[in-house]
Amino acid sequence: MGKVRLTGAEIIWECLIRERVNVVFGYPGGAILPTYDALGKYSDKVHHVLTRHEQGATHMADGYARSSGKVGVAMATSGPGAANMVTGLATAMMDSIPIVCITGQVPRPAIGSDAFQEMDISGAVIPVTKHSYLVMEIENLARTIKEAFAIARSGRPGPVLVDIPKDLQAEEFDFIYPEEPILLPGANLVTSDIDSNSLEQAASLIAESKRPVILAGHGILLSGASSEVIELSEKGNIPLSWTLLGSGAVPASHHLNMGMMGMHGEFAANNAIQKADLLIACGMRFDDRVTGNTNTYSLESKKIHIEIDPSEINKNVPVDVALVGDLKSILTKLIPLLKEGQKSSWTDKIEDWRKESQSRDIINMNTEMLYGAQVISDIWKETNGDAIVVSDVGQHQMLEAQYYKHDEPNTLLTSGGLGTMGFSLPAAIGASFSNRDKDIWVIVGDGSIQMTITELATAVQENTNIKIAIINNGYLGMVRQWQQLFYDSRYTETPISSPDYVKLSEAYGMKGFRVKSRAEISDTMKEAQNIKGPVLIEFVVEQHDMVYPMVAAGADLDEMISRPVHEQFKDAEM
Amino acid sequence: MKQTLILFMQDEPGVLNRIASLVRRRNFNIDSIVAGRTEKNGITRMTLVVNEPNKAKRKTIYNNLKKLVDVYDVVDASNENCHIREHALVKVSIKPGDFKEIEDLVAKGNCRILDDEPDSMILELSGNEITVEKSISFLKKFKILELLRSGKMAMISGNQKKNKPVLVKSEPI
Repeated sequence: MGKVRLTGAEIIWECLIRERVNVVFGYPGGAILPTYDALGKYSDKVHHVLTRHEQGATHMADGYARSSGKVGVAMATSGPGAANMVTGLATAMMDSIPIVCITGQVPRPAIGSDAFQEMDISGAVIPVTKHSYLVMEIENLARTIKEAFAIARSGRPGPVLVDIPKDLQAEEFDFIYPEEPILLPGANLVTSDIDSNSLEQAASLIAESKRPVILAGHGILLSGASSEVIELSEKGNIPLSWTLLGSGAVPASHHLNMGMMGMHGEFAANNAIQKADLLIACGMRFDDRVTGNTNTYSLESKKIHIEIDPSEINKNVPVDVALVGDLKSILTKLIPLLKEGQKSSWTDKIEDWRKESQSRDIINMNTEMLYGAQVISDIWKETNGDAIVVSDVGQHQMLEAQYYKHDEPNTLLTSGGLGTMGFSLPAAIGASFSNRDKDIWVIVGDGSIQMTITELATAVQENTNIKIAIINNGYLGMVRQWQQLFYDSRYTETPISSPDYVKLSEAYGMKGFRVKSRAEISDTMKEAQNIKGPVLIEFVVEQHDMVYPMVAAGADLDEMISRPVHEQFKDAEM
Repeated sequence: MKQTLILFMQDEPGVLNRIASLVRRRNFNIDSIVAGRTEKNGITRMTLVVNEPNKAKRKTIYNNLKKLVDVYDVVDASNENCHIREHALVKVSIKPGDFKEIEDLVAKGNCRILDDEPDSMILELSGNEITVEKSISFLKKFKILELLRSGKMAMISGNQKKNKPVLVKSEPI
């Protein structure tokens, strides 16, 4: 392509289209107006989704990225618009999600003058982005956008922000797209050749181990290494457990899959980790919600850490062998070095632990009240387990992780690292643009939905085919649970009221249902699934139930608080 | 124990901001920071000295600095044969008769007189941390009116390949 005379605004769209962007989530405003004005020329190639808040735009870009593996794009104006993106950027940063945020900035001559809606956003987001830019010369604009995408998707993915002054958007320039490869000073942290010594060391640790456990993290999804991890597990007969973001990396139904680990992890998984003599950590970072007390964490085990980000090695838990690089290529080299594992007393022991915890499971009990866990288990059954589920943050998020059995990668989208309440509704809207043929279910609490409920309007305007299940217990349930367990049941500011969600749905122009008993779940869900477009179902559930098992923050991982037996539970304060 | 890191980074607006932000965010305990231009156009060199006894955490600091997009390379000079120098400017209040003692300090080679007024002097101290420390303690017998320390600059002895930073750009993959 030769030279074309274009404005900065047109160059932005030209560059986005070359990055194969076909949807942008955003909100116009003064400093980004030239770019919105130019959108008209490109609207056949790029669909713009008008959000109701810039935070929503970032979560939509995030949900789009999580469900598609592509880079999500959000756009906003300067000052307050850009500031509203910070939560979404931090969410994406903590969970290694590739998004690019484009913000308008006040005109260059006004920068630094506290101009109307001026804010140093590229400086403000330094701690919550992989990188950020303020473009000051139009000749750098195209290269900067290309760099932003390359940085966002490379290595350990993450968010990038590009701030573009308004006058630069309006400036004309002889545009030539920079076809040459992007070269950066600090781009490559990881070499492609894996140290063969470490590989052999890892292989011999695996061969020597009697009680090995695989820790399956988000890196498996980011690397596309599910089948390699399954092969590792099956070849060595190694049971595995996953982190919240590793849900679906290995099918929940797989016989060696023990379920989630950590604070609300499975009894069997946490016990196995504590008693193991070898942990093989695959694309995970030993988060505090996963380890509990690191001083007592899996003390008898040797540890192998396979991870793309060298700064994660030995950060929280010291390891014996570190394999730094892309998980899929490392496992491809490691697996041939391993011998077939035998069925052992170790896997029998794990099976015993699993049976022990099932006897206390709330979904196996006949109850008059409706429980959150039952709702989620029934949603799993009704959707045949193959919906994309977008969960929010709180009790329902943990229940989802326990009771929605994901068999496919990238089918649970949730804010794990930052724990951002309000994530789910906008993220689901974003995901719908890359998964038009899949059922998308939002599982959200009454607290979380009210944080970004404005985006219902976006869902209606776009006729987004999402189903929103509000698990309403009238409390900020997870905070309430902590108050009950650790603050002598002083429920300060956790009872929360809700609007009438059925009427609210009608007001927004969508269908809403209310479900109060387990018997109604199946029919209501079928009715909802027959409607193409957004549907809301409020599930009115038992108010005081807690998520079990639970490891208190900082406690030993096997110091689990279990669900009391049924009778005790019934007699508890209602 | 102190960790001495030599950083080579792209001379871009905001790069110091990024280092400072990282150090603050990761809760690293800074002893000193010095940055300046180098023999290569467009490359800024920083000596960052961090107080961190834990070996694993030292590696984490190193790797986190290396993750920054604007940083070409980081060389850990902590265990290298390394010259670490700093400068200090000290303004002392003097009385007639004090001059002799100051001349003795100058004669030892670690001090220069930059400014000589009847009631005060500005002295330039330079050397390694201990020399500068000692000279400052010596000067405490006079009244110190102002004191300014530059922070530490480090350069590794010799021309060994392993201590050479990689100053080429590469493609993000």
